[in-house]
Amino acid sequence: MSKSDVVVIGNGLAGLVSALVSADQGKKVTLLSYGAGTFPLNSGLIDVLGYDDAGKTVKNPIEAIASVADGHPYKKIGVDTVKEALDYFKDIVKSEGMPYVGSADQQQWVVTGVGTMKPTCLVPESMQGNKCFNAGEVVLVGIKYLKDYYVEMVKENLAEILGKDKKYSVVEVDTKLQGGRDLTTRDVAVWMDTEAGYNDFVAQLKAQAGSGKVFVVPQVLGTKTNVVYSKIVKDLGCDVVETTCMPPSINGLRLRDVLLSALKKRGIRVIENAKAEDAEFSANRAVSIKAGGETRLQTYEADKFILATGGFYSGGITMRDFGEGKEGVFGCDVVTDCEEATWANKQLFSDKKQGFALAGVKTYDDLRAIRAGGIIENLYVVGRNLTGYDFCFEHSGNGVALASAFKAAKA
Amino acid sequence: MELEERARDTGDNCIACTSCVAVCPITKANRNYIGPKLVGPAHNRMHFSDEADYEESLKLCSNCKNCDITCPNGVSVATLNMLERAKYYKQHPEAHTQVDQMLSHGFDMADMLNKLPLGKTLANLGMGIGKAFGVLDMMGLAGKRDMPAYADTYFRDLFPTIKQPKSDKKVLFFPGCYIDTNDPEVGVAFVEVMNANGYEVIMDSRFVCCGSPLVVGGYLDEARSHADINVAVINEYAGKGIPVVACCTSCSLMLKAEYTELFAQSEMQQAGKNVYDSFEFLAILAEKGQLKQAKSSDKTKMIYHAPCHLRAQGLGLPALDILTAAGIDIVNADAGCCGMSGSYGFRKENYETSMKVGENLFNTIKESGASKVVCDCGTCREQIKHGATKNVCHPMQILAQAYKG
Ligand SMILES: Cc1cc2nc3c(=O)[nH]c(=O)nc-3n(C[C@H](O)[C@H](O)[C@H](O)COP(=O)(O)OP(=O)(O)OC[C@H]3O[C@@H](n4cnc5c(N)ncnc54)[C@H](O)[C@@H]3O)c2cc1C
Repeated sequence: MSKSDVVVIGNGLAGLVSALVSADQGKKVTLLSYGAGTFPLNSGLIDVLGYDDAGKTVKNPIEAIASVADGHPYKKIGVDTVKEALDYFKDIVKSEGMPYVGSADQQQWVVTGVGTMKPTCLVPESMQGNKCFNAGEVVLVGIKYLKDYYVEMVKENLAEILGKDKKYSVVEVDTKLQGGRDLTTRDVAVWMDTEAGYNDFVAQLKAQAGSGKVFVVPQVLGTKTNVVYSKIVKDLGCDVVETTCMPPSINGLRLRDVLLSALKKRGIRVIENAKAEDAEFSANRAVSIKAGGETRLQTYEADKFILATGGFYSGGITMRDFGEGKEGVFGCDVVTDCEEATWANKQLFSDKKQGFALAGVKTYDDLRAIRAGGIIENLYVVGRNLTGYDFCFEHSGNGVALASAFKAAKA
Repeated sequence: MELEERARDTGDNCIACTSCVAVCPITKANRNYIGPKLVGPAHNRMHFSDEADYEESLKLCSNCKNCDITCPNGVSVATLNMLERAKYYKQHPEAHTQVDQMLSHGFDMADMLNKLPLGKTLANLGMGIGKAFGVLDMMGLAGKRDMPAYADTYFRDLFPTIKQPKSDKKVLFFPGCYIDTNDPEVGVAFVEVMNANGYEVIMDSRFVCCGSPLVVGGYLDEARSHADINVAVINEYAGKGIPVVACCTSCSLMLKAEYTELFAQSEMQQAGKNVYDSFEFLAILAEKGQLKQAKSSDKTKMIYHAPCHLRAQGLGLPALDILTAAGIDIVNADAGCCGMSGSYGFRKENYETSMKVGENLFNTIKESGASKVVCDCGTCREQIKHGATKNVCHPMQILAQAYKG
């Protein structure tokens, strides 16, 4: 296999962005992919920092980043780089026909699939929960037989949050998709991709449309980019807001598609189903890695490697016994950073971070990896592999993934 | 010997994340399919459940393996589905139809016709007439399709007539049913390319169908006996240092990995290591600087379709790389599964699903402005011929042509 300038290992948000930014630096990039990253699960929203250490909602993410604790990835990445990364991301998704709105210094709000609201930083046009704030009437759209979406509950919860001075109404759409398995958001989104489905959907909502109203719909506005969204706001003549949803996450998959399309335009070579297993070193540099299918591994040489294998959740890090964390490709040092007793906090929704969430690969401030106490000069660690943050607690998952990838690729 | 790590135990790795359902082309095209997660993996985890418990829609899985490619946890989703299906047919042998029998045993028919004077000619004629009069449809076949025509001379009979330079470097060719009986030109191109690289191609008549159609049809015991025969041959050649090479990506996947996944035998795992997909083999030569560089003067605009069973092998798209390096004007369609999946799309009840899955690929091909489609899989090529354009060939044929200048 001909040598690459950069080999990226892992195909979640951090891996894909690392590959894109590297290619935009004029580098010849190979991306090794295994699975589909967390895209099919995650909302595809760019949460930068939703809550501070005390669990209080952050109003201005970029300002709050400046004061994160030592050891937090944002501390290593730096405020300016985070800002640049967010701008870069906005440019990419816009050029792929799926623009995101929002800025580093102001939190956006998103309606969840149960009718609560969550903070995020960048949001696709179709999910701007902020639009509910100024609406006089919120029309909640339910879909007959849709699994995991209870429109009356969404209505009650939203009314609680947004206040009783608004009007709330419910309309139920019948897709007439009968028989077969349970109806999922994806089934409805696929139906919305078709002209007949779209027209039927619009026809069933048309009577409720009017100025000052906003429709809140489950995540069903088509499987690709924001084409259905752009069309439907025109056809209905009022705002439409998608909620987040249970997996598979349509918006996560939309984001994956547009990023893969951007990769393709840059001629980035993607090797699918190629799990990286092993690395070779020369002094303190990585020379090549081995990756492939069940039967045989191929060697991939590069000047620079970016490790985006997704931490515990995606198998980038494993641990059999407490304190014995392993990074599977390069054998980097893994920091546990908590006591065994605080490893797991049994109260899932309490106001404390999870010990295990803070574990990750040890790096220098420039994100270069540490192995056996020393540096690997040409290996950068990004995304969920990094130590020192609980993305779930603070709502920073995709923000850290994006910004660390940007920094590592530029280095 | 039974392996300790068995694919059939990987159901326990499933965390029900639904990634497989999200990418499954059949789930998207057909609402009657419950999705891969709830067929193999879910039932596989129910170690204690009633043996007779099975998922009704298990017949709809096409074994395309996009679920495996997407699974973050190494669950052999498609194989678990096939094992579930086999279990079902074991308990319901009466459920096997005449079409199941026929589509899973195409090799028997092909052998028989080869022995009859004018057998193939008459069969081709018969299929044409059968299609016209709706007989195929009545039998449960997709009557809107042409059945793949038998070649006048099978590759097994053509091969002895090919003059090859002798060489110490040898490869054993596994032609697979489709190249052997329907598309022998690919085999000829393979011999030319290997000869150009200093290799002599040999054949072994003990090889039988890789068993892929048997697995998909739920004839697992028969597939096992095919596996045992092929594996013994492969290992015999491994002992002589002669690698086995297949040009069909479903055959190569079966020989390399699926036998082990399905049956968990150490000799299968060992055999797999001696099997290469043809362009994988060439890419390895290229890496060692031993591949003869081709310089094509062909200016035809081409588009490449990567078979799912190649993508599942985790080795990238070596045919695309090698043809690009040869100066061919070729782009990657990157348009997902073609929908055929071996014998799947030939069934009447799967026809619509199959065509719906392939729609994106057909449109991509039509919109590309390319006048030739290149693809390593025989049944993908059949599907592309039916849905997009007749001008389809195996990358080996392009490379053989490029060597000729
Ligand atoms: C259910 C869920 C919901 C979430 N929701 C949100 C949200 O709403 N907003 C938000 O900002 N964040 C969210 N997150 C967090 C966010 O998904 C992650 O923090 C972030 O996207 C991590 O990206 P990553 O690229 O580092 O890792 P991942 O997305 O995990 O990707 C890692 C990839 O590397 C692959 N890989 C692993 N090992 C190897 C190997 N050896 N060789 C090759 N490939 C390998 C994996 O298979 C995987 O595809 C959510 C996470 C989960 C699990």
